[in-house]
Amino acid sequence: MIQRSWKIGGLALLGYVLCMIFLVPLGPGLLELTDTKTADLVVGVEHQVPVYALTGFGTHWSETPENLTVVLRHGNQLAALPLIEVIDATHALVGMDLPYTVPSKSWDVLVTHPIDGTLLLENGLFLSDRFINEQAAWDNPEISEFLAELPFHFPYQPRIVETIRNLMLHVPMWFTMFLLMGIGFVASIRQLSSANDLNFDAKAEASVQIGLLFGTLGLITGSLWARYTWGAWWVDDPQLNGALVTVLVYAGYLILRATIQDVRLRARLSSVYNLFAFVILIILLMVLPRFSESLHPGKGGNPGFNSYDLDSSLRAVFYPAVLGWMMLGTWMYQIRLKESIVERKLRQLR
Amino acid sequence: MSRVADIRFLVQHAIRVEMRNKHGIAGLAVFAIAAVYTCYQATGMHAERESWNALAWVVLLFTAFNAVSKPWADDAPEMRSFLLHTVRPQNWLLARIVYYSLMLLALGALIFAAFLLFLGLDPFVGNGIFYFFIGIEATALALASLLAMIQALATRAGGGFSLIAVLGLPLIIPVILVATRYGMDIMKGIAFGDTAHHLLFLATLTGGFTALGYILFPYLWRE
Repeated sequence: MIQRSWKIGGLALLGYVLCMIFLVPLGPGLLELTDTKTADLVVGVEHQVPVYALTGFGTHWSETPENLTVVLRHGNQLAALPLIEVIDATHALVGMDLPYTVPSKSWDVLVTHPIDGTLLLENGLFLSDRFINEQAAWDNPEISEFLAELPFHFPYQPRIVETIRNLMLHVPMWFTMFLLMGIGFVASIRQLSSANDLNFDAKAEASVQIGLLFGTLGLITGSLWARYTWGAWWVDDPQLNGALVTVLVYAGYLILRATIQDVRLRARLSSVYNLFAFVILIILLMVLPRFSESLHPGKGGNPGFNSYDLDSSLRAVFYPAVLGWMMLGTWMYQIRLKESIVERKLRQLR
Repeated sequence: MSRVADIRFLVQHAIRVEMRNKHGIAGLAVFAIAAVYTCYQATGMHAERESWNALAWVVLLFTAFNAVSKPWADDAPEMRSFLLHTVRPQNWLLARIVYYSLMLLALGALIFAAFLLFLGLDPFVGNGIFYFFIGIEATALALASLLAMIQALATRAGGGFSLIAVLGLPLIIPVILVATRYGMDIMKGIAFGDTAHHLLFLATLTGGFTALGYILFPYLWRE
């Protein structure tokens, strides 16, 4: 009963995770603030000002457009931009009403709206046509901030956008592979200390087979994600190379097994190799990436998610996803193990 | 016999057998020099530092795989059953690591000399040549410590050279990654102190592979 209930629990978790991955909407965000190369008259300003186009993602600006406030920020200096027109829910035109002398060329863009709350685009504006004087300052405008009550959503991340859902598919693949390779590692150690019992060898083989499956799925989901966010199916990166080589090392394990005919010798030699492979896995995926710079999320210099960006909505799906995939992996491993034991018995009967 | 005396005897024995039939080691040297000469021709007599670095490590790697795939008298089944009763397997593995280390240290030096002769000294600044040489020898030790074990494993499995390549190449990649990065740093003129952690990592890998082999080799060897 207990055995069946954890399997059902695992499937329920995965069902919950898949529903969340595909149904939870993304929160609102800002895409860009660009120069339209035109100028226009704005209410409250005597001269013509350059017109900039503001583009949002998943925003609701067309509802109560009079409450949309666009603010620039540099350090403590704020500047409110006059709104020219709200085109639709995600597009608006603002006037770049800044003095000719500004303290910086690079500004953060803040947009406040009752439905979306306050959105931030860091270094979202680069002014190339202004004069820089770091002492330049003016009085900060009065800004009313809105605290919005958004429905349950995944955070919006620049450049990553919708692919943030891959977090629940890609990362758990590697965790599951670690778990299965760990099972294989322990089984191989026990195989070496009990020469005549071939059950541990069957365990090691089954766990490596299923672990390799998860590793391959991890490579595929990672490659798809990289295509959409980095623009290439594969990039030269320590984390990626480590992952690929780990999969190759374990493929070598299966090749080694296929070369040896004698079952006892095979059990012994492949166990020895499996211990080597696990140590290499630790080195490649946990030690080497820490020595070198990487583009991969969770490492330095990255726009993606690291542990600070994993907010509560992602956690609510990510942790169940890890647990669910691990349970599924363990279950698959048990089925494969039973199959191989039955195969061996059949061979003995013949 | 004490362990050191045991290992020394085994290494001396291996060298004696090697010297009795010199064409094996001579073939390796010819392979290495021919490979360097091919690189020299292919790069058009003048290699940029990127290609210099890449080619040096590739030639070292392939020479190492060639060196360990050379059949050894001890691998014959009747010889192994004799050794099983006379030597502790750990000593035998350590002797083999020492022997491969000596061989790869010499071959590494030969390859480096050939590279300097054919492809020139241009990429190096300051003491770069000396530090690069240290890197080559450290990598040779790491290769020897891993490949000794892989060679024994592949021979025991009856797979021959192709199995050594299949099992050894993925396992060796951490070594090569660190070595190429170290070589590139040296050629860029980065101070030795700022890139020495790569050497430390290579030494750790060498120690780790030797320790793993020391623990696991008896299981591999016994009937």
